[in-house]
Amino acid sequence: MRAGCLSRFLVLTALAYCLAVAGCTNDPYPDSDRGEKVLYSAFSQPPKTLDPAVSYGAEEHVITGNVYDTLLEYHYLERPYRLIPGLAEAVPAAQPLPEGRQAYRFKLRPQVLFHTDPCFTLSQSGRQTREVTAPDFAFAMMRVADPALNSPAISSFAQILGFADFGKRLVELRRADAAFAALTPRAQYARAGGIAGIVAHGDHELEIILAEPNAQILYWFAMPFTTPVAWEAVAYYNGRDGRPHFGDHAVGTGPYRLALYEKQHRFTLERNAAWYGSLPPNVEAPGAVFPKEIDAQDSAAGRIDASYAGRQMPFVDRIKFYREREDIPLFNKFLQGYYDTGGIIKESFDAVVQSGRLSPEMQARGMRLDKEVEPTIFYVGFNMGDQVVGTAAGERSRKLRQAMSVAVDAKQYLELFFNGRGVLAQSPLPPGIFGYDASYKNPFRLHDVARARQLLAEAGYKNGIDPATETRLKLTFDTYATTASSSLPLEFLAAAWRQIGLDIEINSTTYNQFQDKVRRGAYQIFVWGWGADFPDPENFFFLLECRNARSKSGGPNTADFCHAEFDRLYHEMKYRPNDAQRADLIRRMVAILEQERPWIELFHREHYTLSHAWLVNSKPMGISHAAYKYKDVRPELRANLRAEWNAPVRWPLYLVLILVVAATVPAVRTYYRERL
Amino acid sequence: MAAYLLRRVGYGFLTVLGVLFLLFVLFFAVTNPDDIARKAVGERARPEVYAQWKINHGYDKPLFLNRDFAGSDARRYTDTLLAEHYRRMLTFDFGRSDADDSSIAKRLWDGAGPSLTLTVPLFALGLVAGIALALFVAFFRETYIDRAVLVLCMLTMSVASLLYIIAGQYLIGMLLKWFPISGFDPNPAIAARFLALPVLVGVISGLGADVRFLRTVFIEEMSRDYVRTARAKGCGDARVMVRHVLRNALIPILTNVVVQIPFLFTGALLLESFFGIPGLGALTVEAIQGNDFSTLRTMVYLGALLFIIGQILTDISYALADPRVRLS
Repeated sequence: MRAGCLSRFLVLTALAYCLAVAGCTNDPYPDSDRGEKVLYSAFSQPPKTLDPAVSYGAEEHVITGNVYDTLLEYHYLERPYRLIPGLAEAVPAAQPLPEGRQAYRFKLRPQVLFHTDPCFTLSQSGRQTREVTAPDFAFAMMRVADPALNSPAISSFAQILGFADFGKRLVELRRADAAFAALTPRAQYARAGGIAGIVAHGDHELEIILAEPNAQILYWFAMPFTTPVAWEAVAYYNGRDGRPHFGDHAVGTGPYRLALYEKQHRFTLERNAAWYGSLPPNVEAPGAVFPKEIDAQDSAAGRIDASYAGRQMPFVDRIKFYREREDIPLFNKFLQGYYDTGGIIKESFDAVVQSGRLSPEMQARGMRLDKEVEPTIFYVGFNMGDQVVGTAAGERSRKLRQAMSVAVDAKQYLELFFNGRGVLAQSPLPPGIFGYDASYKNPFRLHDVARARQLLAEAGYKNGIDPATETRLKLTFDTYATTASSSLPLEFLAAAWRQIGLDIEINSTTYNQFQDKVRRGAYQIFVWGWGADFPDPENFFFLLECRNARSKSGGPNTADFCHAEFDRLYHEMKYRPNDAQRADLIRRMVAILEQERPWIELFHREHYTLSHAWLVNSKPMGISHAAYKYKDVRPELRANLRAEWNAPVRWPLYLVLILVVAATVPAVRTYYRERL
Repeated sequence: MAAYLLRRVGYGFLTVLGVLFLLFVLFFAVTNPDDIARKAVGERARPEVYAQWKINHGYDKPLFLNRDFAGSDARRYTDTLLAEHYRRMLTFDFGRSDADDSSIAKRLWDGAGPSLTLTVPLFALGLVAGIALALFVAFFRETYIDRAVLVLCMLTMSVASLLYIIAGQYLIGMLLKWFPISGFDPNPAIAARFLALPVLVGVISGLGADVRFLRTVFIEEMSRDYVRTARAKGCGDARVMVRHVLRNALIPILTNVVVQIPFLFTGALLLESFFGIPGLGALTVEAIQGNDFSTLRTMVYLGALLFIIGQILTDISYALADPRVRLS
């Protein structure tokens, strides 16, 4: 190896290195996006399916909620949540019918078109779209009722007259007649006779008949389960001849259409030029214009730009979603300005939020922090069927549960394990839900160790000693948290109970084994959480209804709580409209839970959203994610700030080069001097 | 050689059957069809929805023995999840993902491209860099360069690969802003922008072990008589190192390298996951996290097949690289 040859090699390597350095950039987006009204978002889990009859998760709703319109939707700005008309001309009022039945009549907006798609050639040659009619809604509902689709909402519509019977007829007909089973779904549904309680009156009126009153069913018409579905799309996108399945190809009516769908990696929503809200006669529809009344608080916080009041939506041309499997890269890319909104990772929480407010460093970057209490409840539950902590032990176990409730410092729990992101829970109801009373303080949720000891003594376990065994009362805390970090919150709770003298054994198993224990009733204490499907107190209290008890039906009442008076009040409250009587019923139900303590309510989760200065009209919504039509971006500001924040730092590259040369050259020279 | 290869293929087939059995037993030792169904349809779905999902996906059958059939009936053994598992894998009918019902064959096809765009440059650059650096330090052996590189190698080997990824993303992507922190674009015009950082991180994290191994091989070769003879005949240093030492060190290098080639298709688990590359490595991680048995068994099956192919290729490459080796 001659010295000249080596020098040439080193010079060439250094040159290539410098060229590579000069061309580097961390911008992950194509140059064609520059200056465009594009909104950038991220997702961690790919959607399972976009079939509106089946899709249920938040990761799917970011697409289905924007691609499919619904009859009703939530007001974007108002809290508590309020339904407004979407594809319906008005939110229908309940109409009483004979035999205790009830009906809702939806008058549909005219001139609502499906997204242009080749599937419509099935109904007419050369056709690319068609108007939405009432039978499209009926078809969608029949798909939900079809057991073959396995819709998670099938039981939510059970009160619609003939809904369950329709499903049974379909199953029987398919079993009995192979020719019937080979027909298209539309033909099968027609031959099965449809659902008695879903009636299309002409093209623009849909009647839903309920076997018994249920005011809460309207919330389900704000979910994609009830969006109009074109039979052509279902028949055409069947996975044959290179066509995708309907679950991977959305044909809706919404303000955005699905332009790109690589579900494991990225997808793009593109503005629908023929959206009903952009065209007469629907330009003044409530779901087509930005709300005219803007809350001064939203405006002052910079969340909402008041100049958008009454303006035609949507504002953004494209929404690009990229998959980020890990939180840290996602958060760092948000900080670089490559995502418009982001959450806060635990590791950086203290750097971003200080004393509940955005840190000065983040404020200097023009960021905004929005908080929204989600309709959730996290709680400790007791197995009320257990001989020690359950109802069988009568007053003794009630006092025990009360003592354990008072012993838990939920404020500290929230601070330690969730960065304080939540509101302390006094009852199952979170803020923003009808019946929530901000002034109510549950006496058994005030942390007081002395009182807890007193209650424990009243329960007959003075200092935690069980007189029957003369040892500390041993209780089992069952969990499926198996890692050290996920067990810490449980250790905290166990420590609180040990402090009053109880002997708590944490029993960690796999999720599967835990579920098995729950099924068998072989558990005493557990930690659980719930997020509501819709913003109604019924969607929280049903978790404690006896009919839903684990031992009765395997339902979601894991505490196995059965209380006759609570159930009576619940059934009276369940389908009532939000009036004073309903509020009173809720107060009485909360009072029962306060004394009985099947749960120790911990907190309602609060969602923190960070937004960059260029994102306009971003107000977090705990319930619905179909809010992209309200949002806007300022591309020039974004481009300028991105350029300012992302100028590459090149000097370390040159330093590395100099260091390598400095370290190598003397050795090479010495070696050759010695050898030659 | 043909008999040898036939025997190896036979052993390989038995190994694959064993791997499939072990996978089945281990997977269902820690989970069960109910849990798979729950993951697939969501925690909040009603029991009847789980039950229907299990029927639709064939998880309603017993694992090993179907007691619905009499002892003499073959269906007692064939109408089970285990039999279905073998049938699907041995006929390469991978079916649909338990997690999202998508076609596994299509996902393999879609994921192979992104995986290869990462693993091929990573493999090639890692190999070239490892050989070049090892030749360099072997040439300057017993100098401070050799010692410094060895210390650096030990340091790089002692650090977990996850740390390289996080540090690389933070230092190079976040602080120095040279490359995007994560992402992928199939468009070749900008694909290099996304691949630069994972390839750099991958090469650096694997370099320590490679250089130490290759350096040892080269130094051993450099002490051989033929090197001294070549030098005595006036051969230049470069010629000695590249034409003589490198060529004669090929057998141990091949052992290390050829076996890795089939795995280029299965992707890089951590790199793909952290850098958002939609390849087969990320697919495997996802299948593990999501209790997606159908996808996981496919990946393990393909991994086992590729490993066996790699072993056989290594044996063949021995014979090709060194005429003294005879396969029998």
